[in-house]
Order: sequence, then structure tokens, then C-alpha cells
Amino acid sequence: MTVVDGALASGPPRRVWRNRLFQGAMLLCMLVAFGTLAVLLVDTLVTGWPALSSQLLTGLPSTLPEEAGARPAILATLYLGALVLLFSVPIGVLTAVYLEEYANRERWWNRAIEVNIQNLAAVPAIVYGILGLAFIVRGIGVGRVVLAGGLILTLVVLPTVVVSSREAIRAVPDSIRQGAFALGATKWQVVWRQVLPAAIPGIATGSILALSRAVGETAPLIMVGAITYVAFNPTLFGAYTALPVQIYNWTRQPDVDFQTLAAAGAIVLLVIVLTMNAVAIFLRNRYRKQW
Amino acid sequence: MRVSFQAELDALEAGFQEAGEIVLRSIRGVIDALRTQDVELCDEVIAFDDEIDDRYHALEKQIELVLARQTPVAGDLRLVLALLHSGLHVERMGDQCVTIAKLTKLSSHLDTRQTVIEGLVDMGERCAEMVKVSLTAFANRDVDQARGLHALDDLVDRANRQVFQEVLGYVHDAEALEWGMRQITVARCFERIGDNAVDIGEQTAFLVTGEFAEFTDASHDPSPLQ
Amino acid sequence: METPRIDSGRIAEVSHGLDRSEVERREKVFSVADLSVSYHGKTALEGVQLDVHRNTVTAFIGPSGCGKSTFIRCFNRMNDLIPGAKVEGTVLYHGEDLYSRDVDAVEIRRRIGMVFQKPNPFPKSIYDNVAFGPRVLGMKGSMDERVEQALRHAALWDEVKGRLKDGALGLSGGQQQRLCIARALAVEPDVILMDEPASALDPISTTRIEDLMHDLKREYTIVIVTHNMQQAARVADMTAFFSVIVEEDGSARRGILVEYDSTTKIFTTPSDRRTEDYVTGRFG
Repeated sequence: MTVVDGALASGPPRRVWRNRLFQGAMLLCMLVAFGTLAVLLVDTLVTGWPALSSQLLTGLPSTLPEEAGARPAILATLYLGALVLLFSVPIGVLTAVYLEEYANRERWWNRAIEVNIQNLAAVPAIVYGILGLAFIVRGIGVGRVVLAGGLILTLVVLPTVVVSSREAIRAVPDSIRQGAFALGATKWQVVWRQVLPAAIPGIATGSILALSRAVGETAPLIMVGAITYVAFNPTLFGAYTALPVQIYNWTRQPDVDFQTLAAAGAIVLLVIVLTMNAVAIFLRNRYRKQW
Repeated sequence: MRVSFQAELDALEAGFQEAGEIVLRSIRGVIDALRTQDVELCDEVIAFDDEIDDRYHALEKQIELVLARQTPVAGDLRLVLALLHSGLHVERMGDQCVTIAKLTKLSSHLDTRQTVIEGLVDMGERCAEMVKVSLTAFANRDVDQARGLHALDDLVDRANRQVFQEVLGYVHDAEALEWGMRQITVARCFERIGDNAVDIGEQTAFLVTGEFAEFTDASHDPSPLQ
Repeated sequence: METPRIDSGRIAEVSHGLDRSEVERREKVFSVADLSVSYHGKTALEGVQLDVHRNTVTAFIGPSGCGKSTFIRCFNRMNDLIPGAKVEGTVLYHGEDLYSRDVDAVEIRRRIGMVFQKPNPFPKSIYDNVAFGPRVLGMKGSMDERVEQALRHAALWDEVKGRLKDGALGLSGGQQQRLCIARALAVEPDVILMDEPASALDPISTTRIEDLMHDLKREYTIVIVTHNMQQAARVADMTAFFSVIVEEDGSARRGILVEYDSTTKIFTTPSDRRTEDYVTGRFG
């Protein structure tokens, strides 16, 4: 079979140009997205660098910027994170297990839950704040304490945990379940001994990502009273403030040194969140299964 | 691997060899019957042919099953086909023995001529040897030994012609002629046994080489018919 | 002249295929009567009647869509796990109705094991794969011994005895399938169902599995579905041929049992024209 001269060269010019134009447009979008992000990060780093010190990490807040630290806020953020993990993972995973393994999809209420999980993930966090204020802080009467903040943040991230757990559970091949059933395992044994262990990497990844979101939430915490000035280490049933809130309040101070502190606080928060994400990515890569 | 299939093939071949051994006994039987003109021995040989036929049919049935169920290919297929053909040749040899026995019975009341009897016994013994060789060659997959059957067959053919010549001389004696002509048929039966043995040799060659070739063909025989 | 030592029947003895009368002399393990299966109201399989006997290999063959996989899943009630699946008719297991209300599907599956088309080892170690069944069923006794016995029975022990803690997913396809067989054997079943056990494997592994079936049938009753009819010819004592009936307007397809007889009969002189057309490859 002979090849006509030039038949293998590129096609008509318009096709080629369209291709290049599209590639160019994609490149531009990427530059805009990452460029903006890069600019923000660099700006924060540069602004906050001078205020980064052990004082920031270990000191108590003060009206004097040179003496101010964010220890209570950092601790509270960590406690809140722990509470979120503690509540959202079991509830979220069990909900996901119910929806994936037990729910009969033909029943209307299950389909309703199905649809609304996605909706819940889209609800603005401040709405959860209002909800929390009404039902948890005042309704149950827990008060403006760390526990309340933890519960509300749990609500915020619960839909995400449910969704990512469902994905992880769904990713477990059905052949595994069939194989386990065929050996005489009960439904619960199949779920507990095969499906969940196989889904753990995905669940862990999803949970940590949800956690890192929770840690950065500001609005709902303000609603439930993560009050501005806390000069003692937080306890479960005590008043508190979280790092994002602390940063927010520092930005509202007129003194420019507080702005620097705020930027430094932002860096600390970034480090916490990025570390969590790194752990999630590490876990996901380490345990990626070839089915 | 495929242990049960291999066992089936082995059993098929063992069955064939056994049938061969039995036919050999029939041949020796008719040789003895000729030498001693023993009519009872002839009856035994005739009755015994049923055993040979049964074995052949069992072999044939089992080969049908092996072909249907195991779909043998390559060497296994050639083995099965070779066993099918060789089994038939063995069965034919059995039939030849029956004919010889019947003829011997039929002419037992007539006087015998020693020369012819000796000639026939000689043919018989050469045939028996050929059958033995063909069975051994098959078992050992020995193509050279199988080809050697052709030379042995020539000897049988020569003895056949000698018997024929001898009987031609009886043209003046009616009784002797009657007896002699029956013995010619006996000789021809022995000659056929020899041919069947050569055929088994050809199957051995087919089994080993994958190609079927006649060792000798009546239409291409260089030696003249006398 | 002496009578020969061995008779012509010896040739038939060695053949591993039992004939019909031999098979029917053995105890009935399954007795199926007028069985129909439908999915969401659509009939998939209709009017099946047959018996499976102890220590035999029974094969189901037929074109795709004829319901043979659906049928085999009726024997261990795996169809219960498919939403919308409905089974009508009777399946008796050692004389007892498998589908009666007081029968526990979980208990059935211990006695009637299953091996699937695509090997599906659990993402655990080889040891834990085999031990899973006994563990969930709470079987007593030395687990190490149980695992070894099962792996020996499945002709896998020699290949894995030094690496029981290694992941099962690292084994080759043929080894994985034998591991799945070992897993099924570990719970001491009565029957082993195999749904196209070798279709995802290479020829050597397939031959190994077939040789294994030949050994296993001494202790277990085996039922296999295969789309490779030569495989049925090689391994099965009894073969059931299923076919598809298409509605006049082409809308619905349902499977039926056409012929069920000894494998020898099916592959030499089948009674039904459709069977003949299928096994000679003229179906279509």
C-alpha cells in the first residue's frame, strides 16, 4: 500500500489552529488558577514571616502584639478536630454502610435520603452555625463550649464523610461480597470483615479531607460563640476560640502588627491543613489497591 | 496432567495388544490343526473368534467415546486412529483363522500330501512371526522394525507360490486336486494374514511419522506374479 | 486354549465417565421440579426438572442467555441476593425443600459452596483467605490444620506452603482460582458449585482444574456451568443442555432445559435435534 506524498502531514489549517487555540485556553485557565493561589500564598508568607515565632505558638493572646500568642486557639482547633473525627467518622461510616449495603433502593425514603445527602453537603456552613446555636448551644443547653463547636463542625462535614465513605464502599468489588456470602457469611460479617477493611483507605482519606475543611471553618464557630478573647487553655466544657476566629479578630485590630500576626496565624493554619492533606494523600497512595 | 485421559489411551492400547495376543494363539492353533489334522482344535478356533470380535467391537466403541469426549489431537489422535485400523486388521486375521479352520475340517476326510502340509505350516509360522513383530513394533513405536515386515511378507508370498506350483501337479488325481485346491485357499488365507500384519506395520509408521504410506502395493509390486 | 485373563469390559472400566445407570444408583443430592426464575417479572428460566446425584460431576451447557448461571445459583440461594429475583418451583436438597421458610440461607451456603468465573480472592493473605470461612462460621479445631488440608485438597499446598502470609492477589490466575476452591473446601461442604471456573484461565490452568474436579468428585458432588462444551465432555458424568426460546416478536427470551442425560449420550447420540445442533457447533 503506497502512501501519497504529504498524505501523512497535518490536516486542514483550521483544524490545527482550533486544536492549538484550545490548548492555549486551557493553559491560560490553569495559569490564572494557580497563579492566583501562588500570589496569595506568597503574599501571606511574606507578610506573616516576621511574626512567626515560638511566642506565636506557645503564648497567650494579649493586647500587645509583641506579646500575643495563639496557643489557646491552636489547642482549641486541635481539640475541635479531634471531636469532629470522633463523631463524624462513626456516624458517617455507619450511615454510608446503611445506604450502600442495607438500604433497599426501591423504597422512597431511601431515595429521598440519597438525594438529600448531596444537598446537605452544599448547605452553607453558617446555616449549620445558626442551627447549632438554636439546638445545641441553647436547645440542649450545652452552652458556648468546645463540645458544641465540635458537634456543629461535625454536622458541617458529615455529608462529605458520608459521600466519601460511600465512594470507598462502592469501590469494593461486588465479587468480594459474593465470595464471602457464598461461604456462608451473614450480611454483617460480610460488611464488617470484608467490605469495611477493604474500604478503610478510602474512608480514611475522605475523613481527613473532611477534617481539614472543618478545621478551617470560621463562620459557624463565630455563630456559636467562639469568643474573641480567651486567655486560658480550652477545656471540653469551657469557653474557647479557634485559630481561624483568632486570625479574623486580629485582622480587625487597627494595629498593623496585628495584621502581621494574623498572617502568621494564617501560615500556621495552612501548615496544619496542608499536613492533614499530605497524610490523606500518603494514605491513599500507600493503600491503593489493584483489584 | 490429564491423568484419566492418559489412562484411557493406555487401556485402549492394552486392549489392542491383548486382542493381538489372542489372534496369535488362534494362528498357532490352526497351524497345529493343520499339522495334526485335529478337527476338534478347528472347532475351538472357530468358536473362539467370537471373543476376538467382541474385543474389536469394545475397542471400536471405546474409541468412539474417546473421540467424542476427549477430542484428542496430534499424537493422541494418530494413536486412536492407528488403534482403530489395527484393531480391524486383527479382527480380519481372526476371520482368516476361522476360514483356515473350516477348510481344514472340510478336507479332513481326504488324504494329505506332506509337501503341501509342510509348506503351509511354514507359511503359518512365518505369519505368526510377522504378527508378533507387528505387535511389538507398534508397542515400541519402532518404524524400522515395522518396515522389516515387508521383507518377511515376501517370504510368505514365495511360500504361497510354491504351494500353488505343487498343487498344479495334482491335475491328474481328482481327490488330490480337490484337497489341493482347498489348501490353496488356506495358503491364501495365510497370505492375507501376512498382509494384515504389514498393514499394522504401516499404521505404526503413520503413528510415528504422521504420514501414511503403503510399504508395498499390489499394483506396484515389482516382483512378478507366478 | 485358555480363556484370557482380562475381559473386554476392562477398557470401559478405566473410562472416568459413569454411565447413566451407574449415576442413578447413587443417592440424589438435588431434586429440581418445575423450577422457574424471573427477574423483575421477566422470566429468565422456565420449567426445569432434573436430579443431581452424589459424587458425580454434572455440567450445564448451552448458549449465552439460556439461564444456566441463573440455575446454578438456585442451588445455594445466591439468587436471594439479587433484588427482584424470584424463584418458583421446588429444589430439594437431600429431600428437604431449600426454599422453605425455616431454611437458613446462610447455613445452606456452608454446605453448598461456590466458585466463581473470575477468581475472587479476598484482599488478604493466602492463609486468611482460606481461614475466612471457618472463622465466620465459628468452626472449632486447629485452624492451621484446616488451612493446610484445604490447600492440599485444592492441589495448591506445595506451591504456597512457604508463603501463607503473602497477599493472595499476588498469585497467578490459575493459583487464585485454586485458592478460591481451597476456600470453599475449608468449610467442609457437601456440594461444590462452579460457575465457569476455568473460563478466565489459560489452558494449562484449565487442565489442572479439570484434573482437580476429577479427584474432588470422590468426596464431593460437583455441579459446573461451562460455555466450553468440550470441557463438559471431558469432566462431566451427566450433562444438561439448556437453550433459549425467543418470543415471536423477539421481545422476551427465556431459558429451558432441552436434554439431560449421560455425557456420553449427549456427545455421541443426543436425543434432541437441538442438542445435536449445539454440540456439533451448528447452532445459530
